[in-house]
Amino acid sequence: MSRRARLVLAFSAAALALPAAAASEPRQQVVLPGPVPYPTPVPPLVGKTALPQIYIAPALHIGSVELVKVGVGPDGRPVRVRVRQRLLVRGQGDYQLAISGPIDDVSPAPGTQSSPGLRSDQLLWAGFSPGRKVLAADAFLRARDAAPYLPLRLRLQRDGDRAVLTVTNATVVPQQVYSGKVQLPELARLLDETRRASLAGVRLKGTFANFIGEVRTLKQPVRIAAPLRVQGQLTLPGQAPVSFDRTLGDGQPLSFQVEARGQGVPKVHLQARPAPVVRELRPRGASTWAAALSRRSQPVDEVVHRLMTTRMQMVRSDQFQSFLADPDADGRARSVYEYETVAVRSHRSAAARAPQEDGGGSDALLVALAVIGSVVVAGSGLVAWAHS
Amino acid sequence: MRRTVVVLAGLALLAAGCGKSGHESGGKVLVAVDIPVTGSPYIAQTIRHGVDLATSGINSGGGLIVGNRSYQLDVKVYDNHLSARRAVADTRSALDADAVAIVTDGTGLDATWQIAAKEHVPVGIVYDGASGLVDPQSRPNVFRIAPTNHGMAFRYAEYLIPKKLEIGLLHDDSAYGQEGSADLEKAFSENPESVATRLTLPAGSSDLSAQILRARRSGATALLVWGQPPTIAAVLTAARSLGWQVPVYAPPTGADPYIRQRLADHPDWVDGLTFAGSRLTAEVGTGPFLSFQSQYEAAYGADKVGVKTSEGKAVLQPPEFAMYSYDFAHVLVAALTRAGSLDSTKVLAALNQVTTQGANGDERGFNEHNHEGVVDDDVYFARFHDMTYAPVKDDPLSSTLPSIPQTR
Repeated sequence: MSRRARLVLAFSAAALALPAAAASEPRQQVVLPGPVPYPTPVPPLVGKTALPQIYIAPALHIGSVELVKVGVGPDGRPVRVRVRQRLLVRGQGDYQLAISGPIDDVSPAPGTQSSPGLRSDQLLWAGFSPGRKVLAADAFLRARDAAPYLPLRLRLQRDGDRAVLTVTNATVVPQQVYSGKVQLPELARLLDETRRASLAGVRLKGTFANFIGEVRTLKQPVRIAAPLRVQGQLTLPGQAPVSFDRTLGDGQPLSFQVEARGQGVPKVHLQARPAPVVRELRPRGASTWAAALSRRSQPVDEVVHRLMTTRMQMVRSDQFQSFLADPDADGRARSVYEYETVAVRSHRSAAARAPQEDGGGSDALLVALAVIGSVVVAGSGLVAWAHS
Repeated sequence: MRRTVVVLAGLALLAAGCGKSGHESGGKVLVAVDIPVTGSPYIAQTIRHGVDLATSGINSGGGLIVGNRSYQLDVKVYDNHLSARRAVADTRSALDADAVAIVTDGTGLDATWQIAAKEHVPVGIVYDGASGLVDPQSRPNVFRIAPTNHGMAFRYAEYLIPKKLEIGLLHDDSAYGQEGSADLEKAFSENPESVATRLTLPAGSSDLSAQILRARRSGATALLVWGQPPTIAAVLTAARSLGWQVPVYAPPTGADPYIRQRLADHPDWVDGLTFAGSRLTAEVGTGPFLSFQSQYEAAYGADKVGVKTSEGKAVLQPPEFAMYSYDFAHVLVAALTRAGSLDSTKVLAALNQVTTQGANGDERGFNEHNHEGVVDDDVYFARFHDMTYAPVKDDPLSSTLPSIPQTR
């Protein structure tokens, strides 16, 4: 008997093994998590103003690639957030785009074939794509408004000669999860589909499962987090950098600590990116869930829970692929979050201070010296007069 | 019963007093239009008609609503005679008359914008595409709805360089020609091998045979002529008289009726003339523009070019520049409404935040980084045949655009 035939037999047996009563129980199709809705409204970020009507010609497809650069202060808290967003427009036709967010300013980024517009809390693009067009901009965000939606929290602490960096996955969100009876072959198929999508890095497709009998909601919400791959270094002056490479989530801890020893101001530089669900979707002892469940049966409740929670993690992971919105809801979006220790200074204040640094500062110094000089001369004169 | 009648009568009077819109009347709001009535009458007339059409439509629809008041828009025309000095005087007069905005062809703008800026009054350019006129940082009160020279020059480079032509870059010595030449130089600077020669032509000269012969001897296989309509007519006359069927490309002045009138006896000399302009139709099709055109013609009559096709049909000029002034008036009104006040500072800030649908169906608006209402991507190319023009088919944008009917 071939392996395939054995599998089919095993599946049939599993299906028949369901209690006879199940056949008489009502069935209902329950929509599984994904691709939307996202569990929280943000990200993508939203601004305080209403967006104008956007227009994308039917033949156009827009993908978004974002580098979210987070400047952190000496304690690890975000003090500056800048997003370099590169939209790739494919197809021929008009576009009129508006991207919302706590946007302070925008500027063209390298490689752009058009210039971005700015309105209150809006980044604008308008034009015509002859077949392919790159729209790239640096959006300078208000750190206070954007920081709560970043996927990582960093904390940098000093303890004697120890510098400790704590990195925490901040995407955790409580979610209600359904439970009930579903035939194992169907569950196996759905898990395999989900796993394939996760490994391929593509968005989940909407689907449903046939529940037999009552569909229950678990009393306790489940904590769902987007798996994040975090790679970086913690550096102290004169010391070799301490490197790290972890995945936060996907069945692994949601936080870790890195320690460096030495004097001076610690500096952190790391990149985080939404990661696929790998561990929790790996079938035990087989290459597919179909094979794994046919070899060794598992409690249906556990398998349903796994299907639900892994799909929720993928949805949460997909949500963080667009820190700024991709105007094409069906477009492929990718985001990388880069955290780096910086001097505490916002984009606007940096721009405002630039002219002073060029010359204004020396003028101010001259005025101050002149005032001090005058006081000294006047004081000396007064003393001399008093002693005359 | 009598009490009921009195109450009803009182309510009726109250309703009548509130007017159609239910807003208290606030009086009139002045929009100044500074145009070259005696210097360039066709352009002046079409700009004026565009503003008039927009404001009369708003007035008849209940007026401009600002806060809880309703205002009637009043248009006052000033003639700048194509003179910067005159434009300065006009600007002062407009400010003295409390104009909320000044619509201009662009004459004298380098001198007038600062005068208006002191009062925070917006200035809207609806014809001149010269670079440097508009800069949101240094000239925050200057806006433009018209194709820019910069955009057209770069679109021409993008369009012509792949054709492997040896291009003669010609411009006349008018301010328009010189400004356009500067942008052409920038646009073609990275592809010098595409340029066969550069020539400056005397504006107003009707005989350019010597210059055109020189261009021919340089090996040019195409001429890109940035100049006033008489210059383009003279270039065509000289080239065709020499039997030289070189393709001629032009800025929007190439569509000026003057050229067809001048060459009415040789319609074949106009054939093939290609010009750049801002597209008259959006992706939604011809509907919005044709609707605007019919409103325009109902109010002012069709703009006749004064020539006929080979079939004897009269040729009409689509109201392109009227569309820009019409759109600017609408964006201004949207800003006044958003500002909720006639305070010029608030109106100026609101101009950066509003969008309206333009006469051709495109979105029109400005933002904090861009005061250009026509984006470079909207520049298209059209070619003449039998005294009318149609979008070219060898450019991605132009090939998607339908022709606008131009005969009757």
